[in-house]
Amino acid sequence: MHIEHLSLTNFRNYARLEWTLPKGTTVIHGANAQGKTSLLEAIYYLATSRSPYTTSDRQLIHWRAETDPIPYARLAAEVCTRHRPLDRIDMTLMLDTTNGDGARFKKVVKINGAEKRVMDLVGLVNVVLFLPRDLTLVEGSPSDRRGFMNDTLAQVDQDYLDALSTYDKILPQRNALLRRISDNLAAPHELDYWDSQLVKAGAVLIAGRQRFLRELEADAQKAHHDLTGKRETLTLDYQPSFTPTAGGDGQLSFNTTGLDLHRELSAEQIAPQFAEQLEAEKGEAIKRGVTLSGPHRDELRLHINGRDAGLYGSRGQARTAVMALKLAELSWMKQRIGEWPLLLLDEVIAELDASRRAYLLDRLDGATQTLMTTTELDIFTTSFLERAAVLRIVDGQIAAETP
Amino acid sequence: MSKAIPEPVIRLTEAFARLPGIGPKTAARLTYFLLRAPDEISQSLADALHDLKTETKFCSVCFNITVSDPCEICADAKRDGRVIAVVEEPLDVLAIERTGAYSGKYHVLHGAISPVNNIGPDDLRIRELVERVGQQDVLEVIIATNPGMEGDATAMYIKRELEPKGVKIQRLARGLPVGGDLEYVDSVTLTRALQGRSEF
Repeated sequence: MHIEHLSLTNFRNYARLEWTLPKGTTVIHGANAQGKTSLLEAIYYLATSRSPYTTSDRQLIHWRAETDPIPYARLAAEVCTRHRPLDRIDMTLMLDTTNGDGARFKKVVKINGAEKRVMDLVGLVNVVLFLPRDLTLVEGSPSDRRGFMNDTLAQVDQDYLDALSTYDKILPQRNALLRRISDNLAAPHELDYWDSQLVKAGAVLIAGRQRFLRELEADAQKAHHDLTGKRETLTLDYQPSFTPTAGGDGQLSFNTTGLDLHRELSAEQIAPQFAEQLEAEKGEAIKRGVTLSGPHRDELRLHINGRDAGLYGSRGQARTAVMALKLAELSWMKQRIGEWPLLLLDEVIAELDASRRAYLLDRLDGATQTLMTTTELDIFTTSFLERAAVLRIVDGQIAAETP
Repeated sequence: MSKAIPEPVIRLTEAFARLPGIGPKTAARLTYFLLRAPDEISQSLADALHDLKTETKFCSVCFNITVSDPCEICADAKRDGRVIAVVEEPLDVLAIERTGAYSGKYHVLHGAISPVNNIGPDDLRIRELVERVGQQDVLEVIIATNPGMEGDATAMYIKRELEPKGVKIQRLARGLPVGGDLEYVDSVTLTRALQGRSEF
């Protein structure tokens, strides 16, 4: 799939932009703070309605627009996919200040002119984003690794996305109820409804992640072999936050560290185990006022030759493992949607050494549309630059690079 | 606010601004409108506001808002007292009444269970409902709370409390809007509609 045209109004530092995008590889070149990253952010936002850089959507609106009566930003893209010749996606972000009590943020999504829910965006545009920050995924926090699984799965799997949004709504309710019970304001049996919903959504998440990682592992291993000259073997290890109880029916296979990825596990098989765990830890959960187990606490670990790369690996090993994982994500998404997703690489090329850089660019060869940002052009080979479109960005304006 | 504005104007503006959906600008506009408008407009508004609290109360049976106790619906002998529809808000009673398709009685909970907002079963009129079902001759309870997470949590709690009473407990069906187009219905709603399909 590819984007034909992108329009931005008051988005970040773009007062106004109309851009017809080339197919193939585009290198976006410019000094810092000129708007390279904002371009990728706009495309990612149109695909997922989430920014990878900020949790506060109102920051996306151009600061100069904030003095307008109704500050707004508009993003629009024309998207071509294998199945649909042309879709027009429109997003308007508004800060409604007319209503007194503080500005209210509003987001309106239109697809081909008709207003839709944000959820309806899912699957229309698929993107794989690679940021320098991803390189620390292995050593980083567990929530980064859960985020990696959630972001990828939610783009293509509607059931997963539904379960994720339900889970994220149930969890704070359940935690609030746990604290009310601990304060004697509620009775423990009031947990029943929230538990049943948490178990239902949570089991879908665990099953979805387990299937995802199983499908990902072979590709990740292959890329990792290529990068290490077959000296090292990468394995993925999903560790649910609860260990199976002895009363399980024996069908579930957990190895000593985590969940056996090579066994097909359905949400229906996981649910009773999860429910049992919540029941078993109820006393402790009430005492501490938080839900102690579930997909929000699960872990993904990467192992190299059987040893945990986050704990024992070198920085270089960790980076190689992440690259293998991101490339596997790309192949997985490509297989899942039947065509190349959009590729967005923000400054990441400069972070890699020459051999990893060459391997990455080689693997991306053939993608329908790739956008990469860089401050330095000389990290690319001449033959690579000859095949790519090179654009220069200065203060929110795009121009062709003059050689 | 500046000292140039008389104190009664400030008081009314601030009172308006406390209402939902009204910010300081709208509040000021309403206040100045009333200042210029004929006296009977502000007088009738003042009377209406005064009567709102003094002349209405909760119905002691169904907890709907009423002038007379019991309310007109509870007092209506033509309505079937053996069926009770449980709703979250007084406005939900109006919505069901508008259909003209229901001839039973009501029970208004005044909210739904939401631990995050510190609303538990004891903050709602659930205990009164259970007592009512125990005392009166009730055959059927229709739980008509909203079809969301909080409405469902409330429904489940009520079901659990009422089950020992041996009444028939029903939940409003959920599914397709009348006049809707299948292709535009979201998958969750359509799944529910399939699960809740009925003989034709």
